[in-house]
Amino acid sequence: MTLNLCVLTPNRIVWDSEVKEIILSTNSGQIGVLPNHAPIATAVDIGILRIRLNGQWLTMALMGGFARIGNNEITILVNDAEKGSDIDPQEAQQALEIAEANLRKAEGKRQTIEANLALRRARTRVEAISAIS
Amino acid sequence: MATSNLTMWVSSKPSLSDTSSLSFRSFISPFQLPSQSSAPCNPSRSSSVTPIQCGLRELRDRIDSVKNTQKITEAMKLVAAAKVRRAQEAVVNGRPFSESLVEVLYNINEQLQTEDIDAPLTNVRPVKKVALVVVTGDRGLCGGFNNSIIKKAEQRIAELKQLGLEYTVISVGKKGNSYFNRRPFIPVDRFLEGSNLPTAKEAQAIADDVFSLFVSEEVDKVELLYTKFVSLVKSDPVIHTLLPLSPKGEICDINGVCVDAAEDEFFRLTTKEGKLTVERDVVRTETADFSPILQFEQDPVQILDALLPLYLNSQILRALQESLASELAARMSAMSSATDNAVELKKTLSIVYNRQRQAKITGEILEIVAGANALV
Repeated sequence: MTLNLCVLTPNRIVWDSEVKEIILSTNSGQIGVLPNHAPIATAVDIGILRIRLNGQWLTMALMGGFARIGNNEITILVNDAEKGSDIDPQEAQQALEIAEANLRKAEGKRQTIEANLALRRARTRVEAISAIS
Repeated sequence: MATSNLTMWVSSKPSLSDTSSLSFRSFISPFQLPSQSSAPCNPSRSSSVTPIQCGLRELRDRIDSVKNTQKITEAMKLVAAAKVRRAQEAVVNGRPFSESLVEVLYNINEQLQTEDIDAPLTNVRPVKKVALVVVTGDRGLCGGFNNSIIKKAEQRIAELKQLGLEYTVISVGKKGNSYFNRRPFIPVDRFLEGSNLPTAKEAQAIADDVFSLFVSEEVDKVELLYTKFVSLVKSDPVIHTLLPLSPKGEICDINGVCVDAAEDEFFRLTTKEGKLTVERDVVRTETADFSPILQFEQDPVQILDALLPLYLNSQILRALQESLASELAARMSAMSSATDNAVELKKTLSIVYNRQRQAKITGEILEIVAGANALV
């Protein structure tokens, strides 16, 4: 039985092919999906997606969204997705530092909400790189 | 704008064609000819003669510059046409996403009908302050595109003022930014710049801003003002209520008329008989049923929480794309009429020029003949 993964962003299709296994960060923790998984619908947090292809693990940074699993078809709808190998480590690290600084400077409820979101995104991108090595 | 430029140019020198035709007539009449040819020594006459002498060169210069203008407008038109096609590709690329999103939203909604949902983005509060997201273009030279959307915004602001509501503006696009910068009495929350092709990143930036404004209860309603793309020659500035989202996945305009999100409209640029045309299709997305055994990993409320921001993003992205397509289409038609005008102007100028040249030659021949006759 094969498992088909489809990662969609508003701009493009990031991934649409067969995989062996994935590990997905959902709002209620990580879940692993193997072929013949029970049909579920879940919210996807800002976090990493791990994909196994023939014994080789790939990572992808997901910026929050939604996933639907059923009938050996996984559809992940996210705002943005980046493959770990496509992220520039230096740039990501810098973005993380800027985001941390912004959160410290944030005043008021609204700025804190914004800064927190930005920080989580930046952290996920850094994690997606370090997960490979 | 280029069109008006050209016409202004003509009107700034309105006497040119008149004087030339007048002087042309005066040249022809044989009785005046001697007095005119002896004009340079007569200061009072010289004023009427010099414009004709300069006229030829001036005309040549003008014909050249009109020619250049025509080349430029022609090029801009072609560039805009090519970009419309790219914008359309972007819409098509985003289709798989929006289709699956609508499908999922629809089904989850159906399953949630019975439950009492309370997601932050769907909270309907008494409206005290409204945020207006105004989407304009980055460049001019596109007819009344930027003007009409800004006018719409002004109109909406006046309406809100009349209702005694507070408002704040989120301006997207350079043209809108400079407009609101010049009017400090309009409260602007944030200036954002668009780019050549709207991506999810820009939509995300707007969505983040709108989201935090709404969730922190600084504003109670968010309205999106953008230009809806109807066809290559027609686009409408419209107002859509962005937040609070209706949990059914509908977009409502200010009158409360709701559009079903499953009824997805998109435009297609085609070539018909060598001319560019646009078809606008209404595609009804199939909302196939989920398998009934589908389980929700989290609370339905949480899932809706994850879905609605996505939906918000895709709505904003869509508006940006439509706005860009309208801008390009407006530019295309503006440039095409500017090119037409330039061609016409060039034609009339050439006629005037040729006539003057002919008249001058005739005059010179007459002078020579008269001189030869005098010698005999």
